[in-house]
Amino acid sequence: MYVGQAIRRREDERFLRGRGRFVEDITLDQPIAHAAFVRSPHAHAAVTHVDTAQAAAMPGVLAVLTGADWTAAGHGEAEGVWPVKDMSGADSRTAYRPLICVDGVVRCVGEIVAMVVAEDRHQALDAAEAIEVAYEEKPANTITAGALDPDIPLVHPAFGTNEVMVTEHGLKEETEAALANAHHVTEVVVPTNRVTAASMEPRAYLGHYDRVNDRYTVWTTNQAPHIVRRYFTKSLHIPEHKLRVIAPDVGGGFGMKLYHYPEEGLVLWGAIVCDRPVRWVGTRSECLLGDTHARDHHTVGRMGFDENGKILGVKFETLAAFGAYESQWQASITNAYHFTMLSLAYDIPAIHTQVRAVYTNATPVDAYRGAGRPEAVYQVERMIENGAQEMGIDPLELRARNLIPPEKFPYQTALGITYDSGDPPVLMGKIKALADYDALRAEQARLRAEGQWMGIGISAFFDMAGAGPVKMMNDLGAKVGCYDVASVRVHPDGRITVFAGSHSHGQGHETTWSQIAADRLGCDIDHIDLVEGDTDRVPMGIGTWGSRSLSTAGMAVYTAADRVVAKAKRMAAHMMECAPEDLDLADGEFTVKGTDRKLSFAAVANASYHSGDRPSDLEIGLEETSFFDPADCTYPSAIHLCVVLVDPETCAVTLRNYWAVDDVGTVINPMVLHGQVHGGLVQGIGQALMEECAYDAESGQYLSGTFMDYAIPHAEDVPSFGLDAHFTRALGNPLGAKGAGESGTIGAPACICNGVIDALWHLGVRQITQPMTPKKIWRAIEDAKRTQH
Amino acid sequence: MTTPRTVELVVNGEHRAGDAEPRMLLSDFLREQLGLTGTHVGCEHGVCGACTVLVNGEAARSCLMLAVQAAGTEVRTIEGLGGVDDMHPLQEAFWEKHGLQCGFCTPGMLMTAVELLESTPNPSLDDIREAISSNLCRCTGYQTIVEAVQAAAERMQGEAQ
Repeated sequence: MYVGQAIRRREDERFLRGRGRFVEDITLDQPIAHAAFVRSPHAHAAVTHVDTAQAAAMPGVLAVLTGADWTAAGHGEAEGVWPVKDMSGADSRTAYRPLICVDGVVRCVGEIVAMVVAEDRHQALDAAEAIEVAYEEKPANTITAGALDPDIPLVHPAFGTNEVMVTEHGLKEETEAALANAHHVTEVVVPTNRVTAASMEPRAYLGHYDRVNDRYTVWTTNQAPHIVRRYFTKSLHIPEHKLRVIAPDVGGGFGMKLYHYPEEGLVLWGAIVCDRPVRWVGTRSECLLGDTHARDHHTVGRMGFDENGKILGVKFETLAAFGAYESQWQASITNAYHFTMLSLAYDIPAIHTQVRAVYTNATPVDAYRGAGRPEAVYQVERMIENGAQEMGIDPLELRARNLIPPEKFPYQTALGITYDSGDPPVLMGKIKALADYDALRAEQARLRAEGQWMGIGISAFFDMAGAGPVKMMNDLGAKVGCYDVASVRVHPDGRITVFAGSHSHGQGHETTWSQIAADRLGCDIDHIDLVEGDTDRVPMGIGTWGSRSLSTAGMAVYTAADRVVAKAKRMAAHMMECAPEDLDLADGEFTVKGTDRKLSFAAVANASYHSGDRPSDLEIGLEETSFFDPADCTYPSAIHLCVVLVDPETCAVTLRNYWAVDDVGTVINPMVLHGQVHGGLVQGIGQALMEECAYDAESGQYLSGTFMDYAIPHAEDVPSFGLDAHFTRALGNPLGAKGAGESGTIGAPACICNGVIDALWHLGVRQITQPMTPKKIWRAIEDAKRTQH
Repeated sequence: MTTPRTVELVVNGEHRAGDAEPRMLLSDFLREQLGLTGTHVGCEHGVCGACTVLVNGEAARSCLMLAVQAAGTEVRTIEGLGGVDDMHPLQEAFWEKHGLQCGFCTPGMLMTAVELLESTPNPSLDDIREAISSNLCRCTGYQTIVEAVQAAAERMQGEAQ
């Protein structure tokens, strides 16, 4: 059995040798021209004049293109993959992110106004600087919290409001009643900070148009090349069968590389106009500005408890940032992944949430690792922490009293979602032992007596992973069918190529998909190759996001392999003159049960293609495809626990310990699983302590445009992690596997913030917004001192 | 300013030459003129370390160095780290310990670790964390990289004895 083994990754050697093939590394037999963009320096302005004459005459310049050219060419826009809808079912006030400014108004810093295509990158950049754009500045707002205030400038005046839509979910009356009757009510304002994925590989695109054969090709840093192909039908109106989208090695995605970005459409447009391949590779500053941002919810929450700390109900009112435009998958957060998950790992009888989505003059917000669930966990867990502290109940004990007990599974939450399996009390028991919780509390008391500030943070949650099923996700708003697909092709020599509609950009599918296929096919893992990320070689697919690939594409591999085996058994039975049911397949050989009669899988494969002696109703060939629509999402769960030390002199936070106990169902490769958890945790730590996409409130200028200003964690900022696991089977797929890609980012921000609040509670500190920088912590302590005096 | 000059240097033990405008970065020169695309550019402002190469034995940000500044130097890049049939102990250890996921930061991380182990053959875990804090990785969470560098150091120490 390969499944369950920590097999080292089969894709690693090329990366270790510097032989990875990323978009920037692609060479073609024609010289590649380069694109550069003129971007708005203003948060909100009318574009009154664009003068391209001087730029167009500069050395090496092949084309200078503006929104007027885009409109004249009849091109369109990147419509929503997961568009918002008002609760009434009416269309929301949607304004999709334009590829290039076409209506004479720029609504956030970084919006593209013009493109230059030139022979080389320096010539393109030189010419872009020579384009003169006249702007008439307009008042701007980048702050989510105030976006609906009466005197706030409107991002899209035609709508008459900055509100995109309102959505409400849960049990309104029951929640109000629960809060009214509660023994204790905790109220906290819990904004989540605006962050961005900051994958180490900047976004990059290469477009090519073969005029003679009327074929288009795009190489893209994308997680879902088939969805890119689908939305090129909207932007450049290219029929799907004419376009090949290749996502080669991609250097991290985290959800952020899921979209049909402006630059992606524009480089192909440039390639068509110039009849030359055109490439753009984002600078880090362009990416920190133009990559989708994430989170940025402004939430007020109220949670009611009975006298024993049992949660009776919780109510949230959220303003959810959209930025200047609706990004393609935005509603997957506001209308699907956020509200559904607000019960976390707790048995909460009444929950009500209202989300008002708002436009601001900032970069569009979309999904980033966790997508709505980090916000949900932060919002709920901050309530629970403060509630426990206020009521004088040990925070772990209060949580334990509220966990969903195992006998309640499948458990339907107050928001209507049903968790198929899990056992939160077991996770809590394990993490309590792993961290030696009672000893930590004793240490905390001892250190506090010495004037040192130690805090213990906890978060406990469920994740909704593995999108679809198709119908469920359609019902939640997805305009793409959330299936995935795989083909298993047995070559006549018995070797195998697996084609999958997923895309690996760090997840290790070449290893894990091969582990699954090798087990089903009874073959050596080295006899299997995987193809992903090329729409000409893998005709359909939905891609890798939302911790879905294992329970969709991975299960398609599983199913297609089983179909191959079933067909091969019929051929083998014919050759061996027995019944298919009498055959076992293992180690590359068919064996007749109870005998020593054997026939190699390779011989059967060869005969499947090249022998005329076969069952009359058995088609030639040995290749099967499975379009896999899972029976359910998967619901992985986890509990995190951390220890933070806050320096009383500098207010700097040291994250001393971090433990996580995960339930991700069946594990394919524990090494890969741990890598996913570690990586997610560090991104969550970044959100809690240092990361923020900051705007100047007055000017709307973006302040986080370099890695000197946007701080992501270094090795020295994080500890080694202590992990444990407990497995309950997922019910929606045959392997019983659950998604595992997002647990870290979902749980860590709440856990760490609870730890910092726990460290400072005795000083009167009740809430500090993320990221919890030394300056904010110092201010919170000073404010608390003033309040108490 | 834009007139190209010929830059001659030794890369991975071989004498190489290529044309570079004075403003061309060493990273771009390695990638575009010499075809060594294993050196990656993650931020082009000297923070992420993805472009790290060794110049005369010292780790350098090739995005912060002009190609003309590298004339006459000895440069080592990821392509020169392993042999045809074998890999450097650091490459082996990164493979065994899962010290990479997407692989984009990996070449720079490896070259940084090469410099560490050549100057500090027996580093503590804190030494390793400090040394690789010059480089950003967004996938791994660093723990497996630290473990990989430690494992490689132990193996190289064993081989040296």
